[in-house]
Amino acid sequence: MDIINPTVVDLSRFQFALTALYHFMFVPLTLGLTFMLAAMETVYVVTGRKIYKEMAQFWGKLFGINFAIGVATGLTMEFEFGTNWSMYSRFFGDMFGTPLAIEGLMAFFMESTFVGLMFFGWDRLSKQAHLAITYLVALGSNLSALWILIANASMNVPEGGHFDPETMRMQFDSFVHVIFNPDAQSKFVHTSVAGYVSAALFVMGISAFYLLRGQHKQFAARSFRMAALFGIISTVAVITLGDVLGRMDYEKQPTKIAAIEGLWHTSKPPYEPWILAALPDDAKQENHFEIGVPFVLTPLIAHDFNTPITGLHELEDAAGPRIQSGIEAVSALRRYGETHQQADLDIFRAHEEDMGYGFLATRHAPNQDVTNISAEALPKVIEETKPDILPNVFVTFWAFRLMVFLALYFFALFAISSYVSLKNKLERNKLLLRLCLWSIPLPILATEFGWITAEAGRQPWTVFNKLPTFLSSSTHSVSYMVFSLAGFTLLYSIFIAAELYLMFKFARLGPEAHDAPHDDATQHPHLTAVSSTPSAAH
Amino acid sequence: MSLFRMAGLAIVLVVSLLFAVFVGDQGPWYFAWVIGTVMIILISGAGAILLDSQLDSSPDNEV
Repeated sequence: MDIINPTVVDLSRFQFALTALYHFMFVPLTLGLTFMLAAMETVYVVTGRKIYKEMAQFWGKLFGINFAIGVATGLTMEFEFGTNWSMYSRFFGDMFGTPLAIEGLMAFFMESTFVGLMFFGWDRLSKQAHLAITYLVALGSNLSALWILIANASMNVPEGGHFDPETMRMQFDSFVHVIFNPDAQSKFVHTSVAGYVSAALFVMGISAFYLLRGQHKQFAARSFRMAALFGIISTVAVITLGDVLGRMDYEKQPTKIAAIEGLWHTSKPPYEPWILAALPDDAKQENHFEIGVPFVLTPLIAHDFNTPITGLHELEDAAGPRIQSGIEAVSALRRYGETHQQADLDIFRAHEEDMGYGFLATRHAPNQDVTNISAEALPKVIEETKPDILPNVFVTFWAFRLMVFLALYFFALFAISSYVSLKNKLERNKLLLRLCLWSIPLPILATEFGWITAEAGRQPWTVFNKLPTFLSSSTHSVSYMVFSLAGFTLLYSIFIAAELYLMFKFARLGPEAHDAPHDDATQHPHLTAVSSTPSAAH
Repeated sequence: MSLFRMAGLAIVLVVSLLFAVFVGDQGPWYFAWVIGTVMIILISGAGAILLDSQLDSSPDNEV
């Protein structure tokens, strides 16, 4: 019987994608809203104006709904590593588990503890103490993301560990290397500020809703202004860090960058266009049509005008010798596991860097065992394995483009919104307000596309160049996978329905404490009333 | 009391400088995140305070 059941692998991947993408519908808001709450509360503490306290409390309530429903869904994935990806956990658990454990014990506990104080401490803590708590919630939620992204980065750019032929798994060497992995750094900042963008548009969109209906205008105008400025700087940061990540992929994951750009053949600088739209065909390994902007690709990727970007065909050809070397590494490793002969270990050490390519050839080896490959069959196995090194180009190409187009749209929207808000002309620009309202879900979509680009582009590996995805899953039955997948789909559909219901309900209700006396007949009563008596504001 | 406060602030300053030197060297993007997030919060807050003064001095109270 084959050890690899492709249906089980595909179902495991689909289930993880489903739970991860679902979880990440909540995460960006948590990352960004906490710092927006901190900004609002900072203004409240500095100025003493009560309206900023009401802003922090109202947006904090929406954050609370998101936090309560969203957090639990992250736990599912941690269990999935053990249940559905046991081979991966066996191979890479030492590297991956450490940051994951720190995330749970440090960041998540910190966030969860202070969240309670933030919600229930308004009347029990001093203004300054409550502000400190809000900052700690924001820091905790972002530190939580940091450790997860450190773990993810170790899968994309494995650093700080080595493979041990005695234990047959990757082992941890350097904590500093894992934490300061360049991929972790840029991915954390990119993801964190993408959360800021999501939160900013969330606040801006709901504020636009109030302005369109002529409700809570003082509240909405301030929320809108803060969100617009928060959003424009965050969007610049997210685009900048996107470029840094692209550069990282160019250096460390050339197959991902070639797939992102739909580049089947090595580029011809400096003319090579950046493809705006195309229809990549993975089966025929070509693009059916292309619309591109000349002279853009080379500086965009290589940051100069002369360096050719290696294409997918050339990367595939270059993988041939590595596959052959990897087969020798895995064969020597198998022999060493049985005999513990130094000669086998020496052979393994000589080919260790290509071990992952040997694992990749397993699928095409007789009885899925590379030691069964004869000298005559070797060229055929290598040829069959070569296309396996490529990710799905269509998915990676379009997920990346949709993310980038959305980011450029956010930049324009935040820039115009900031300008109009600074000019105090929001109410005259109904179209802009409607655009802001309808754009609320788009940053969440953009972050989802970002994750699809990162993870689909890393394929066929779970640990890049070390462990193929098809060798990472557990050996469940298909019916088990279908049953658990159906369960998750049902449960998560209920969660999302509850989240949307509560969000719509409380967003429509608006900031209740602010309803009664003000709106627009009087001139921003809280400003005049509160600013004159700051000590009574709290 | 002010001596203790000064000593406390001096310790915060030294820790911040050490943090900046170490993280700035080892993890420049982490450092950029810390500085950038503070900047985003300050600019966002400054925008709100500017709106307050704009509304205080605006006769028509238009937003």
